[in-house]
Amino acid sequence: MTRMLARVIGAVSIGMLALSSASPRLTAQGGDANAGDWRMIVLTGPTQIAVPPPGQTGSVDYQAELTAIRNAQNRLTKAQRASIDYWSRGSVIRWNEILMELVANSDLPPAPNPDGSYPAPDANNPFADPRFPFANPPYAARAYSYVSVAQYEALKVAWYYKYLYNRPAPSQVDQGIRALLPVNAPAYPSEDAVVSGVTAELLKLLFPTEVEKITLKAGEHRQAALLSGRASSTDLAAGLALGQAVAAVFTARAGTDGMRTAGGSPALWQALADAASARGEVPWHSMETPPRPPMLPVFGSVRAWMMTPAEIIQERPGPPPSTSSPLMAQELAEVKNTVKNLTREELAIALKWSDGLSSPTPPGHWNFIAAPYFQKTGWSEVRMARAYALLNMTMHDAAVACWDTKFTYFNPRPSQLDPELKTALGLPNFPSYTSGHSTFSSAAAEVLSYLIPGEAAYFRAQMEEAAISRLYGGIHYRSDIEVGKDHGARIGGYTVRFARLDGADGR
Amino acid sequence: MATLRLLARLTLVLSAYVLLPIVPIVHAQTVDDQIMIEGKTLFTGYLFTYDTWDEYWEGPLKRDNGNIGTLTMRTSAWYVNYGVTDRLNVMATLPYVRTRASQGVLREMQGLQDFGVAAKYKLFSVPSPIGVLSTFAAGSAGLPMTDYTPDFYPLSIGSNSRRASGRFTVNLHTKPGFFVTGSSAYTWRGDVTLDRPYYFTDGQLFLTSEVDMPNVFDYTLSGGYLRRGLMASVSYSQQRTLGGGDIRRQDMPFVSNRMNADRIGGMVMWALPKKLRFLSVQGAYSYTLRGRNVGQTSTVTGGVMYTLPLHGRPTR
Repeated sequence: MTRMLARVIGAVSIGMLALSSASPRLTAQGGDANAGDWRMIVLTGPTQIAVPPPGQTGSVDYQAELTAIRNAQNRLTKAQRASIDYWSRGSVIRWNEILMELVANSDLPPAPNPDGSYPAPDANNPFADPRFPFANPPYAARAYSYVSVAQYEALKVAWYYKYLYNRPAPSQVDQGIRALLPVNAPAYPSEDAVVSGVTAELLKLLFPTEVEKITLKAGEHRQAALLSGRASSTDLAAGLALGQAVAAVFTARAGTDGMRTAGGSPALWQALADAASARGEVPWHSMETPPRPPMLPVFGSVRAWMMTPAEIIQERPGPPPSTSSPLMAQELAEVKNTVKNLTREELAIALKWSDGLSSPTPPGHWNFIAAPYFQKTGWSEVRMARAYALLNMTMHDAAVACWDTKFTYFNPRPSQLDPELKTALGLPNFPSYTSGHSTFSSAAAEVLSYLIPGEAAYFRAQMEEAAISRLYGGIHYRSDIEVGKDHGARIGGYTVRFARLDGADGR
Repeated sequence: MATLRLLARLTLVLSAYVLLPIVPIVHAQTVDDQIMIEGKTLFTGYLFTYDTWDEYWEGPLKRDNGNIGTLTMRTSAWYVNYGVTDRLNVMATLPYVRTRASQGVLREMQGLQDFGVAAKYKLFSVPSPIGVLSTFAAGSAGLPMTDYTPDFYPLSIGSNSRRASGRFTVNLHTKPGFFVTGSSAYTWRGDVTLDRPYYFTDGQLFLTSEVDMPNVFDYTLSGGYLRRGLMASVSYSQQRTLGGGDIRRQDMPFVSNRMNADRIGGMVMWALPKKLRFLSVQGAYSYTLRGRNVGQTSTVTGGVMYTLPLHGRPTR
């Protein structure tokens, strides 16, 4: 029974309320009243988004809002109480969980056509087969980062206006209204409405077929804020407008960040193979039947967050061992030998980090690893958003830089060079060098170790395990992994250097 | 005679009782027939099963997959049945399974699968104008013997789930030797633990390694001839998994998928004459007509069985 309950709590489902009475609550710590001054990433500053002053708390209109909350609190349903409890875990952390589910739900490649070709998901016809998007690791890395950075920017704006206007929460104004969620900052504009508004708009852009679930969840979030006595309807309306305005800025950026052309074209795919051949190397080719076009070969040109295009190229690792070199033969033999003599423990590690089809992908896995440690800190909502933004920015940058490397060298997978080499994991359909897992994980561990230094050893151990898991799976050479880890650490450094100077770094 | 009847049990199971994932699992205990071994008799032997498919159902959609080609599963199973009394039989089986895909890069898997134990009890027999009507109750359990991964379908050798079943069987046997049998079971399945911390199935992301396995209902109808040293029968069976999600378009199968199958089968067994009467041989074939989240399997089975009387009386 306990186990069953645990599973119910563990199940994250959009539209389903988890009865998570045991979940720790987000508490106010410091409040971060100066967050409106923290350095922006995309916006020019908090006043780029105008938020008009609220009405007086003594006004008739506001008193009517309070009456509505009082009445609603007097007849709370079981579902409403469960909803308040669900959101008490924190807005940013809950929406991150929801995003993980959206990614897993969309992490499926198109099925082949009868003639052996593959259809491409179409953002303008998302409900067709194949559905849009195919949330593969680069797409997912970008999605997590857009949502996290937009939440962070929107909350900094919200914090600016909260402390500009200093409007108290309904539960602070009216003795008859209970505080069913903690009040951590002035109420106007509502941080719940800001987060639900900015997140829902971006999720609808990124996962258009899920519009219904997303909209319902966002509405439920705002309703919970109201019923809990944390926000009045005008607090919510101002927050929603602010969140949507910030989302519009990010939507514009997403339309021009290079994602639309990241799939390349048949001519480009051929040019990549020809270039590798011209260098005297065996070019990568798809091991799928029928052969599938490579995954997002131009993703390396998508706009990064903390790195300029010149820095992406500057940090690009040198070439892998030549496909005809004794070193490559030696590395190939190591992969083959490892898979052939795989222990159960090694297989468990490979499977733990598989993050293949229908998964939240490796960037999602690192969000999952970070969540309990973030939660334990007791950070304010805006500081929580900062942590997720830093983590997901670096993993997006890792995706860009790793894909730039992969499609610069177009290096074959081990099972292409040796057809007798069988894998313990599904074989990703893109070039081998360098390992995406290693790059993502190393960048993530770098940022997490900055955010939570006391757990640096743990994050590093997880990173090492994620990286070597790809050798155990038979899908990466050792140099893919070692170079990827080194590359990822340098990428992580860009985000950490930004964070140290952003005005929020307390150390 | 007892030998022959016991052989019938084995073959029927292979064509009918199997919980069919994309790779079928052998439950080499046949608790679903009308045959009892006599008391104080040991019956043991070896069965080899060859399953193969090159098309499967992805949810309701039947398809092939160039990254799998033909999937084969070879099972070697040791089997033993002991007659505690004429009315109570206990049996056990231990299969070794090997899977392989003819195309693609995924590696083959092999290993000891699940130890099966079962007890079958003959409830009552009543004569009727057309023959003898008998009823049976049986309970069985499956216990994974190794920690093989259930997270590599369709190449996993099994679901790595503990199982318990309750079964009821009715048989009508006529004097000339013709018979009809109906048998049905409900199977409870224990949670499965994955090596990864979360999984997505049936529209939800579960943030846990524990997979709740849906239970299974199955039934088999069979008819044939059983007399002296020969048994021949045909059967039709349905298996329904009572929950679980579909394989999504172009996704990998998952251990808790709703795996359903309708199968037909036929079997022949023969007890060797004279001095070799303690030995018997059998052969069977079955085919999946319709399914959901399973392969369209063709299954061939062959086996040799040995009977050892321990009661000191002449063998009937």
